[in-house]
Amino acid sequence: MLKWGVALSALAMLGGCATNGLYQWGGYEQKLYTSYKDPNKVEELRETLETLISQQQQDKHKVAPGLYAELGTIYLQKGDTNKAVDLYAKERDTWPESSGLMTAMIKNLERLKKDKEGEAR
Amino acid sequence: MRKLLVLALISLWLTGCATQPKQDMSAFRAAAPRSILVVPVVNKSLDVDAPNYVLATLPIPIAEKGYYVFPVNTTKVVLEQEGLYEPEQIRQYPPQDLAKLFGADAVLYVTINRWDAQYALITTVVTVDFDYRMVFKDGTEIWMAHQHMQYSPQNNSTGSPIADLIVMAVNAAVTRAAPNYIPLTKQANQMTFMYGPSALPNGPYRDAGKTN
Repeated sequence: MLKWGVALSALAMLGGCATNGLYQWGGYEQKLYTSYKDPNKVEELRETLETLISQQQQDKHKVAPGLYAELGTIYLQKGDTNKAVDLYAKERDTWPESSGLMTAMIKNLERLKKDKEGEAR
Repeated sequence: MRKLLVLALISLWLTGCATQPKQDMSAFRAAAPRSILVVPVVNKSLDVDAPNYVLATLPIPIAEKGYYVFPVNTTKVVLEQEGLYEPEQIRQYPPQDLAKLFGADAVLYVTINRWDAQYALITTVVTVDFDYRMVFKDGTEIWMAHQHMQYSPQNNSTGSPIADLIVMAVNAAVTRAAPNYIPLTKQANQMTFMYGPSALPNGPYRDAGKTN
């Protein structure tokens, strides 16, 4: 009975002032706040984003704003600069609004990488 | 949880859509931002987890309205690298400079005024209260909103006063153990950005120009 109520009001809402979803978000929101609560759960956020992004790419859907970059930042914090740069580039290519920030971050990371390589030599 | 959902849906259904007078959007429309930078949330409640929870719930409703939303966690990390760890510090930083640093058209500031559950003997009221403020990259304020939402478990009468009291006490205990802040916060954000009188005009990724 309660389920019907939920379904009916959901239907009514959709019929009334429908705003169809533009994007798939998977569990981004929920995994993000659980990872804030418990930093050990960042790995779950990474997996969620990974799955969501590969699904969207398969279905040829546009990945929601920010998600490539959020995944990139998780890799950055794990120390995987190459992967982070790749993902920031994807964010920039998908969303022109992000181009200033993403380009600056990529440049910084590449400069850091060069410095490190220089030191190693 | 389910009851909250029903309540949320019904209240959305009753109060939502185009029935309320709309807020003046001329400044927002004139600025016509494409991209919005959501910065870490200022917390005036006593719950230390509240600002991160609220931050996580902000991107979806704004992006679904058709705007580019900068990745909130990446933004937080970048700001920390710039030495801005505290949301209060970020408030001191000129919005023009913030917008420039990120290449954003507008900056969204959110303050948590309340995030609490008040426990009486047999009932519990969960309250969230937020202020939202958006500033264009030239420093002018283009939009603001305030949202206050409350939730208390509804009690269906069983016909027996004593049984009713027991049900209410159990409900209150359940709410006390796990107050439903997140669904309430999501509802507040949806009302603010999508359905209420402060709802943003559609952004460039959702039929630009049309109002809802």
